[in-house]
Amino acid sequence: MLHQIIIDENNMGFIPSIGASFQMNETAREIINHIQQGLHKDDIIQALVAKYGISQQEALIDVNDFFMKLKIYGLIQ
Amino acid sequence: MKYKKPVINRIDFAISSKYGSPLHSQKIRTEIDGIGVHELVEQYGSPLFVFSQKRIKEQYMQLKQAFEDRYPKLKLSWSYKTNYLNAICKIYHQLGSGAEVVSEFEYDKALANNVTPSDIIYNGPYKPKEYLKKAILNNSKIHVDHLLELEDVQSIAQELDQVVNVAIRVNMDVGVYPNWNRFGFNYDNNEAYEAIKFIANSPYLNLNGLHTHIGTFILEANAYKIATIKLMKLRQQALEEFGMNVEYIDLGGGFASKNHLKGIYQSPEVVVPSVDEYAQAITNAIYEYNTSDELPTLYLETGRYLIDEAGYLLTSIQAYKRLPNGMKSYILDAGVNILYTSAWYNFNIEIDKDYDNLTEPSILNGPLCMNIDVINDNISLPPLERNSILTISPVGAYNITQSMQFIRYRPRVVLIDDDSNTRLIRQEDDLQSVMAKELE
Ligand SMILES: Cc1ncc(COP(=O)(O)O)c(C=O)c1O
Repeated sequence: MLHQIIIDENNMGFIPSIGASFQMNETAREIINHIQQGLHKDDIIQALVAKYGISQQEALIDVNDFFMKLKIYGLIQ
Repeated sequence: MKYKKPVINRIDFAISSKYGSPLHSQKIRTEIDGIGVHELVEQYGSPLFVFSQKRIKEQYMQLKQAFEDRYPKLKLSWSYKTNYLNAICKIYHQLGSGAEVVSEFEYDKALANNVTPSDIIYNGPYKPKEYLKKAILNNSKIHVDHLLELEDVQSIAQELDQVVNVAIRVNMDVGVYPNWNRFGFNYDNNEAYEAIKFIANSPYLNLNGLHTHIGTFILEANAYKIATIKLMKLRQQALEEFGMNVEYIDLGGGFASKNHLKGIYQSPEVVVPSVDEYAQAITNAIYEYNTSDELPTLYLETGRYLIDEAGYLLTSIQAYKRLPNGMKSYILDAGVNILYTSAWYNFNIEIDKDYDNLTEPSILNGPLCMNIDVINDNISLPPLERNSILTISPVGAYNITQSMQFIRYRPRVVLIDDDSNTRLIRQEDDLQSVMAKELE
């Protein structure tokens, strides 16, 4: 489902096929972009660590949490 | 670039229009009376109850002013059950309050706090005879709840061979429901009148007061007008029919604090009457219905209104997780065992800094291993950091006195005085205090 999402300049996401709208922040948008480009979870974690200088642990917890939320919303398997 | 934890919310327009936008801004509190919340927690630990003496005094002066501007004879009695930490009680006594107590230990506490015994009002549906006698000997104000108690007082008076002054508690319909009709004598079915007759016919009893407490968190000032009128009518009957001059009427407590009652969607600023409205309702009714030469002294046993907004609970985020329904769950170090009033209030919950991030639907859970340990089941919060501090308020009324020693130790309590100095006024529980009364 996630590859269908269209995200506008205000970080509002829309999935036309199911008519669902999402509000997100910059980091969420970034992670979704990474997923759409085919990056795996571990690569995304590394990308966040490299870009923001956060700890490995914080990135791991946040990305896992975010994936769980995407799953709950039915956006990923 | 500054990192913000990722947030995504599905937008459900039905939900967002009903509960407000998830984008809505969060309230932030970094200090109480000039002292940082982090500083307080570093010094005294978390969770931590914090009371502001400044706020206590402000509320007290507002109440006193509102009534004294309108009425010459006012007596305030601090309702011990609302918060009977000695340091708190003493502030009210220093300000001029007597005490209103409903049990033996509250009575003894008031004595130990040096309240003049005649300034102690002894209320409640159960007063052991030995304490009735103690209160009679001390010339405290006895507010009789039922006929059997009236007989108890009469027999003690007989034994002491003296005439004892009593007041009766009166319950009545004032248009507020549930009707608190389990305490005292009913006005509307004449039970109160019959009690007055009983007193008039007893050589050992004299009626010197009439008391009612119509309930707590009363959002209708007019209910006090009705209550005052009914007490004034009884007072007139006592004088005209039985020649007893009732010195005082006591309107009890019940004025609402600016807390947010569950199920009421408007803000407390909209629904809670001002203290001037309560004062006007009561004092106008006294003037209008007074038929005797002397105005009665007006007693109030205000609790919640005075202390609720002066109390805060600081609690730290210990952990967070994602629940299967998508909500973010925060685990706090303070639970419902120390927040008894969370059952009917949606507290004001403030975060310790501006996270500059989207909020998401969150739930605040306490540390107890119980499903009911929920302090707020739907609050929009930005992703909070571990160890960040939430300030929960108003929590000054009833939470300390009704807190339960359950699973975790009850926390410390700190008072911030007028000069912004902090003082520990209750130590936290420990294993020794928890086991102090156990026997093997
Ligand atoms: C007899 C009596 N007086 C005073 C109070 C204090 O009430 P509040 O805290 O609503 O002002 C109570 C509370 O239940 C009460 O029972």
